[in-house]
Amino acid sequence: MQEKEKFAPHVEDINRALNGKLSEEQIEEELRTYTERYGVPLGSAKRSIVKKYEGNPQDLYTNTEKSIEDIIGDEQGLDLKCRIVSINEKEIEVDDKPKQIWYGILGDDTGTIPFTLWEEPSIELNKGDTVKVENAYANTWNEKPQINIGSRASIKEIDSDEVPDFESEAQKLDLKDIRENMRNLDITARITSIEKKIVNGRDDEEKELFSGIIADETGKAQFSAWHDFDLSEDDVVRIKGGYVGSWRGIPQYSFDENAEVEFLDDDELSPSEELDDLSVYTISDLAKRGGAIDAVIDAVMIDIKSGSGLIFRCPECGRVIQKGACRVHGKVEGEPDLRVKGILDDGTGALTVIVNRELTEDILDYDMEKAMETAKDAMNQEIIKDDLEEKLIAQPLRVKGNITSDDYGLMLIANDFEYKSIDVEEEARKMLDEVRV
Amino acid sequence: MSMISREMAWRVFAREFNDSDLMIEGEEERSPSYLITPLGAKVNRVYLVGVLTECENIGTDEEPMWRARVTDPTGTFFVSAGKYQPGVATSLANMEPPLFVAVVGKANTYQPDDDTFLTSIRAEMVKEVTEEQRNIWILEATKSLKNRLEIAIEASKMDEISVEELVDLGFDEKLADGFKKASEHYDPLSFNKYEGMLEDSLRYILPEYESESIGEIDEEQSGEDERDEELEEFIIEIISKIEDEEGLENGVEYDRVRTKIMDEKDITSDKFEEVVNNLRSDGSLYEPVLGNLKVI
Repeated sequence: MQEKEKFAPHVEDINRALNGKLSEEQIEEELRTYTERYGVPLGSAKRSIVKKYEGNPQDLYTNTEKSIEDIIGDEQGLDLKCRIVSINEKEIEVDDKPKQIWYGILGDDTGTIPFTLWEEPSIELNKGDTVKVENAYANTWNEKPQINIGSRASIKEIDSDEVPDFESEAQKLDLKDIRENMRNLDITARITSIEKKIVNGRDDEEKELFSGIIADETGKAQFSAWHDFDLSEDDVVRIKGGYVGSWRGIPQYSFDENAEVEFLDDDELSPSEELDDLSVYTISDLAKRGGAIDAVIDAVMIDIKSGSGLIFRCPECGRVIQKGACRVHGKVEGEPDLRVKGILDDGTGALTVIVNRELTEDILDYDMEKAMETAKDAMNQEIIKDDLEEKLIAQPLRVKGNITSDDYGLMLIANDFEYKSIDVEEEARKMLDEVRV
Repeated sequence: MSMISREMAWRVFAREFNDSDLMIEGEEERSPSYLITPLGAKVNRVYLVGVLTECENIGTDEEPMWRARVTDPTGTFFVSAGKYQPGVATSLANMEPPLFVAVVGKANTYQPDDDTFLTSIRAEMVKEVTEEQRNIWILEATKSLKNRLEIAIEASKMDEISVEELVDLGFDEKLADGFKKASEHYDPLSFNKYEGMLEDSLRYILPEYESESIGEIDEEQSGEDERDEELEEFIIEIISKIEDEEGLENGVEYDRVRTKIMDEKDITSDKFEEVVNNLRSDGSLYEPVLGNLKVI
């Protein structure tokens, strides 16, 4: 049902390019085969299908008027009627010469999309204007489509009735729910830490960056302010008009001089210490979010991976060495270390957890010197891993740390760790009461 | 996001696991297979804690093939491990049943003929644990089961089950998808027994129900038990108190009394009903209007 709608505009494109050679059902069938069975990206799939049936792929893109939600990021000859949600001017350098460009967000009643305008427009453009863009093209950046209005494109103002009204208000969200690439957000949070950095922008021009951590009752996030809003630690602020970037899956809330910052009363949010204890996530939430800083999860350790316990690292690069040899530096005198590399599973998802030497010593209840001795006496390095399995497997744990993600899934670098005590009887009674009602 | 995430480990009771006879094979070479349970758990990996009751090596020392039985309050898991799970084989070789054990493994099925569908678990890890850890697992498994019963209730309100709508209601996408597949395969009438199983499993870990074992609870309570005079007095006292305080002439609603009593005393709904029936039959309580209880 929803699937069919997803394909409909593309089936139309192909149908137009093939001039009725295939029925719409056949086209949809082909599209599904390419995209779902073989995982071919939609844009390539469309081109390939048109070629297969001897059409001209160019015809896919002959000035088609599209809704913003249908833009996939490979269109050419793109026409659209939309409203300017935001527009900013920026100077860039092309062939050593300064050049003026404009960027911002376009919207219609189906969604919003970032745009870049590469040439000075023939008319003055302002936030809120309703315009018709002709002969633009779309590409993708960070896997999200965006629109380019180049020298062959035109942009003209049209009557505001031509684009239905839509919500372009900043979206109010809890920090727990922010995701990479969200734009125009309305966030209320407490600044729990802030520092000023000087970073080098293009042309080595120095820029002030204020970065740190914000927290609300649901979670935390890193933030970057590219403008001096006179923020200080412990302020409760409402920041409208920021966007979400990410570093290795950890969402970061960024905002610049276009954002609106309002200082609120201190009692709008709990004090920092309390906010600290509230960032408990399920692993399934974290998988959707991509990562988090200072997150807490409650889960069971269900596996301890090889490379846990007493390990030896290459003194050059810190990699774990096997049989006295580093993968990169060959035979080296390894430096001992202790760690846990395990799998935590909370019944909603699973992630890899890394526990450093200090916390591993706490878990073992002995230090590295003792671990070295024990392994030496037993003539077996694995004996420390066995101890860790004994102490950790099937144990409910509460682990805190930063969570990042990459192609291999989520990873938690633990900075705090405890056995979680559970009052089984109390919880069971509570549940029994709930289900009996 | 195109993450290759590790398959999570479902906490599912033996009865629900063994009632399953729908296996969805991965379509591509490395994509995982899932056993879909009647309540829609989409199980590739399981985590369970129970009692190891039997284990034997039916292979040889060189090519071990271990078979073990692990029971939970609802039934028995059949667990196996061969030469490709050397760690598990070593653990099992050193275990003397009965023991509390934790097991992580992959759902496995075997169909010797068209009418028979056998489920088992190919173990990746087996470890001896404490009774406390076992009880924690039962609690986790009941929470997981409760979530699936809730999705069953929501789904029963839909004309056609929609994964999107279930996700909008806050259910996990994996579960919503599993539930839709389950609903197309299993008889929906089978849900009821899992509701009973949920309550039974919770009682199993509560000391006040210690003498009862799963499956016997219902029969036991309908029998001719000794009357609990203390509880009878308490119920009468509570009803009189509410009547007095609120000046109620037509008695107090049955459900209200039940909730109140069950809050104060750790008794089952069945027990409450039994005691109230006794009080009604000897004339200490009556129903002035339908559904209300009043002290004579």
